[in-house]
Parts: sequence; structure tokens; C-alpha cells
Amino acid sequence: MKTHAATQAIAGIPPGKIAVWWFLASEVMLFGGLIGAYILARLGSAGWSAEAAHLSAPMAAINTFVLLTSSMTMVMAFAAVEKRDDRGLRTFLLLTILLGFAFLGIKAYEYSSHIMAGFTPSTGSFWSFYYTMTGLHALHVLAGIVINLILFLMARGRLVNGHRVELAGLYWHFVDVVWIFLFPLLYLT
Amino acid sequence: MSSERAHTNYVAIWVWLVVLMIAGVAASYLPLGKGAVIALIFAIAATKAVLVALNYMHLKFETRLIYAIAIVPIVLVLAMTLILFPDFVFRR
Repeated sequence: MKTHAATQAIAGIPPGKIAVWWFLASEVMLFGGLIGAYILARLGSAGWSAEAAHLSAPMAAINTFVLLTSSMTMVMAFAAVEKRDDRGLRTFLLLTILLGFAFLGIKAYEYSSHIMAGFTPSTGSFWSFYYTMTGLHALHVLAGIVINLILFLMARGRLVNGHRVELAGLYWHFVDVVWIFLFPLLYLT
Repeated sequence: MSSERAHTNYVAIWVWLVVLMIAGVAASYLPLGKGAVIALIFAIAATKAVLVALNYMHLKFETRLIYAIAIVPIVLVLAMTLILFPDFVFRR
């Protein structure tokens, strides 16, 4: 019989899980490179703290709360699918999706208030970094929402399995971890 | 494996994350030196990230292979930043 590389466990780990962790490793390099460049550029030039003072820390704190809560609902969705609780799975996936939209809504409000105050990506180096880092992160949140929506629709047809929810969760929690660092980097220092 | 996971109290972890988030915001108002405040804020952020990774991403139930995949890029990013550090910071 032929061996199926795509379904064979490696060292007892499902290949999908290794693939997602590997992907997240490349994401660490992507965000890490940006964050590293931001830290160095900020330490190497003056006046960035004054620029950063224009950001709204309370609004970002609310967004941090929203994203932390969405991580909890995502892991609760996984706990529900493990217990074969279809209703719980759909409820927690939907909550995670809604919290993701709430995050993007608050972020969009922040962007529009900065732009109306005249702070655009071309205003200066700080703002270029701000829009690049938060924009790339927001795109990741959007991608996570799409993945969770697909899982939600599959869960309605009872087509979802726990493994997929776990893998989507790994990605979602990673996006949460990135925000955990972006929040103090941009808003608290 | 799944029975071990069932013992993780996800809500308690969330409470810790929220408490640490509030602590991080509060730390930014502390009347300490700027370096001390920044160290404190990032220590709190790192603690939150570790809590999420260990509990929500189930890293504490994973094998060494997954740990290796997770840790190597973090070491690389830190090394890359630290190597460039003197160039940017001392050339002002």
C-alpha cells in the first residue's frame, strides 16, 4: 500500500498541526522583523514618543480586552467540539467572529480619527510604522474571521471536526499574541 | 491528551490576562524611571503571551518538536534585533 504523506503523523503529531506551527514560525519572523525595525528606529531617533502620544491608549486597551476575550471564546469552541457539543461550538465560533469584527470596527474608528486629525502613513516614520504594523495585524484578524466563518458554516452542516477548530485556534491565538506586543509597543511607551 | 486539556480552566486564564492587561496600563503611569517602566510593561506583555501560548495554544501539552518550531524564530528575531542594536542606538 502507498503511504500518504498528507495524513501520516510525524512523531505522533498530526501533519496539519506541524504545518500551522511552521507557518506561525514564519509569521514570527514577519512581525518580529517589523517590530525589531520599529524598536531600533524608535531608539535611534528623537520625538517618536510625542507622536505616539496622539494615539488613544484607552481605545487600544478596549481592543486588547476584545481580542483577549475572543481568544477565550475560540478555545471554548475547541473545548465544545471535543465534548461533541454542536450548539456550544456554533455559539463560541459566532462570538469569536463578532469579537473579531468589534476589534476591526474599533481599529477603523481609530484610523479615521487619526486621518481626520491629519496623521496619515506619510506624516512621518512613526506613523508609517504604526499603519504598517497595525494594518498588517488587522489583515490577519480579517483572515481569522474568514477562517472562523467557514468553520461556523461547516459547523451548521455538522461537517466540522475538532482538529480543524484546533488549527484555526492556533492561528487566532497567535494573532492575539501579536497584538499583546503591539499594544505596549505603540500605545503604552 | 484531551483529558489533560479538559482540566485547563480557560476562564481563569482569561481573568489573569485581563488583570495583567490592566496592570500593564497602570504600570505606564508609575512614577519610575522610563527604563524601569518599559521593562515592567514588556515583562507583563511577555507573561501574557506565555499564558496564551501555554494554555490556549496548548503548548504545555505539546512535544519538543512543536516547542522547537515555536522557539527558534523567536531566538532569531531577538538575535537579529540585538545584532543591529549598537548601530542604531550609538550612532545618534
